[in-house]
Amino acid sequence: MIMAKELAIRPQKCIGCSTCALTCSLVHRGVFDPGQSNIRIYRDDFAGIFELRFSSTCTRCGQCARVCPSGALQLLEIPGDDAPAAEGQVSAQ
Amino acid sequence: MTKSYGYAGKILDIDLTTGKIGTVVHDDNYRRRYLSGAGFNARVLYDEIPVGADPLGPENILAFNVGVLVGTNIPTASRSEVSAKSPATGLFGTANSGNFWGSELKFAGYDGIIIRGRASRPVTIFIHNDAVKIISAAHLWGKDAWNTIVTLRRELGDPEIQVAAIGPAGENLVRFASIENGPYDAWARTGLGAVMGSKNLKAIAVRGTGSIAVARIKEFRETVTATRRAIYSSPFYGPFERFGTMLVTLPYQEFGILPGRNFQTGVIDGWVETRSRKLVPRYSNRGVACIACPIACAHWVVVKEGPYSGLKMKDMEVTPVIGFGAGCDIDNLPAIAKITEICQRLGLDMVSAAAAVAMAMELYQKGELSESDLGYPLPWGDENATFRLLEDIAHRRGAGDALAEGTPRAAARMTGSDKKAIHVKGLECFLMDPRGRWSTWTLGYITNIRGGDHLRTRNPVENLRYNENSVPYRTEKFAFPEAMYRNLDMPEQLKQEIFDPETKDTDIPKMSKWSEDLISLYNATGMCIRPPVLHTVGPTLIAGLYSSLTGIDITPEETIQAGERAWNLQKLFNIKHGEKPEDSDYPARFYEEPVGAGPAAGRKLDRVKVKETLAEYYRARGWDPQTGHPTREKLAELGLDDQNSNFSQ
Repeated sequence: MIMAKELAIRPQKCIGCSTCALTCSLVHRGVFDPGQSNIRIYRDDFAGIFELRFSSTCTRCGQCARVCPSGALQLLEIPGDDAPAAEGQVSAQ
Repeated sequence: MTKSYGYAGKILDIDLTTGKIGTVVHDDNYRRRYLSGAGFNARVLYDEIPVGADPLGPENILAFNVGVLVGTNIPTASRSEVSAKSPATGLFGTANSGNFWGSELKFAGYDGIIIRGRASRPVTIFIHNDAVKIISAAHLWGKDAWNTIVTLRRELGDPEIQVAAIGPAGENLVRFASIENGPYDAWARTGLGAVMGSKNLKAIAVRGTGSIAVARIKEFRETVTATRRAIYSSPFYGPFERFGTMLVTLPYQEFGILPGRNFQTGVIDGWVETRSRKLVPRYSNRGVACIACPIACAHWVVVKEGPYSGLKMKDMEVTPVIGFGAGCDIDNLPAIAKITEICQRLGLDMVSAAAAVAMAMELYQKGELSESDLGYPLPWGDENATFRLLEDIAHRRGAGDALAEGTPRAAARMTGSDKKAIHVKGLECFLMDPRGRWSTWTLGYITNIRGGDHLRTRNPVENLRYNENSVPYRTEKFAFPEAMYRNLDMPEQLKQEIFDPETKDTDIPKMSKWSEDLISLYNATGMCIRPPVLHTVGPTLIAGLYSSLTGIDITPEETIQAGERAWNLQKLFNIKHGEKPEDSDYPARFYEEPVGAGPAAGRKLDRVKVKETLAEYYRARGWDPQTGHPTREKLAELGLDDQNSNFSQ
């Protein structure tokens, strides 16, 4: 069975803490520097909106998701569609 | 200059009288002793503010200092400390706040700012990395804090600028004016906004695009992971992530320890249905965090119906809900959210503002303050009158002018005595009633360096299910599973002295000393005091984080001692500036008037027992049990017997 870990992004769950950006810059640049991070959280504090933006240099390494406390970023195991159905499982279609 | 790890490396020193801008750099020895935050501020204020200095005069110093752990991904490391001689107490004034201002200052290259003197005209300090400018704020003077933030971001051309600003209350020298930290957070207590206003300083706008280096990355990352695991493992984590500080709203009503109607009653009719944590899901479905915080104790509130429909803000914290909801008996959360917005715009400390309005309502109830004094009636629970009175306080209009002096001065002016003012050392204490529930937390009202306040002492394993003192005034019920205290990051010897596993009791005076030192350590490093942290992150983890981040090795023992050192230095400041032993005492109401209604009805404090407990606390601290002054032995132990301390009993 093929299992891939995919980065699932759910911005509506973001609490704006920027732990993702801080961790990314430490892992990839060796310093804390949100400006050098591959992910940035742009905060509109009057509107309560947090916008997640990834740079083109992001490698989808998943470090941001490993430290995300809110579920806005998650590493999900996605089974391939060639996986055999479990015994007794019937397709709805 | 050698490379700095963890620390940005320098502190700005700005004289607003002369316009001179300099920097200060501390060596590793100084850093190890005082860490940062409240530790650094205590040393500067103690050394440099002269005896007799007017808190609202140019000789006062306003010191901002960011926790050394801030700007990293250490969970909850977001806090910075602002300190000055307080216009409310005349003693060590200090307040702590998270959000994003402190980290932005570090990314700009500074650990703090020392502000001296007084500008001749209103100014803003604008810091953009190496460029530090003092610019005119003539057009901002009179604007509320929210408009100031919006205007500065627009004019300076960057929406990511973080702003510390005062509102009209700070400009008008209200003795409980706050410094707003962005729109929704504040360095609120002890009137530091008035100090900023007295210096004609409207705002400090900061943008930083630099970086913070880590000395030993692998070790640091391992310790951060251990810290994250510790916080998540706390049984307090889930409830706090869900309800934030609103968690306590149910037990306070259950025990009858709300400050109802200016501490005349411990319970409020309909409290659970109208103002408790049960209402949180109605108005909010997500949290809002400070930088690096996984708890997100604040809520994004949206009001969808009623007179405040359309209100959206970060809110619903226990302080305004208890202060205005119980203290003033305002019976709905949307109105309290509106009050929160008004306080944030005006730049008012919500604890003291609630106490001022509640006292005015009681004076109105008892005929000592009239409609003609105010210009409007002020019955209990009147939200519209509360809005008007807060504006009157901030602009010093009518009766608001007297209340702007803080409740003790206002009560003395209006009634000839301060008996209806609920304060310690001039600072209003307005959360829970010690008459109805005696604990480490309530002893903290009178041991707190900054006066009547609930935020610098707290039992890390306080159990809000119980309200029992097996030995009156001396112990509180613990009664959690044994693992809770076995896992506490506290020296084993001290654990044995503080906890009795047989009786499930906690020694209050000793726990007070420990928790004050621990919170002092947090305030000197930038950690947050929310219960999931307070319960799990102690000197061992903090020593590991500090050492691996900065490369300055420190032991757990030295770490907690740095917290104790900062606390003692603040006490020395207070003694130097005139604090008397008798100042560390509860307001008269708690001794003379029993709680009016609820489960705690009829209870009042016993002066003799309080005095005995305070003496025990002083002994636990190594202070003179009569005067509460640190002894020479204690100062020598802490290395505070240097010539600058100049301390004599």
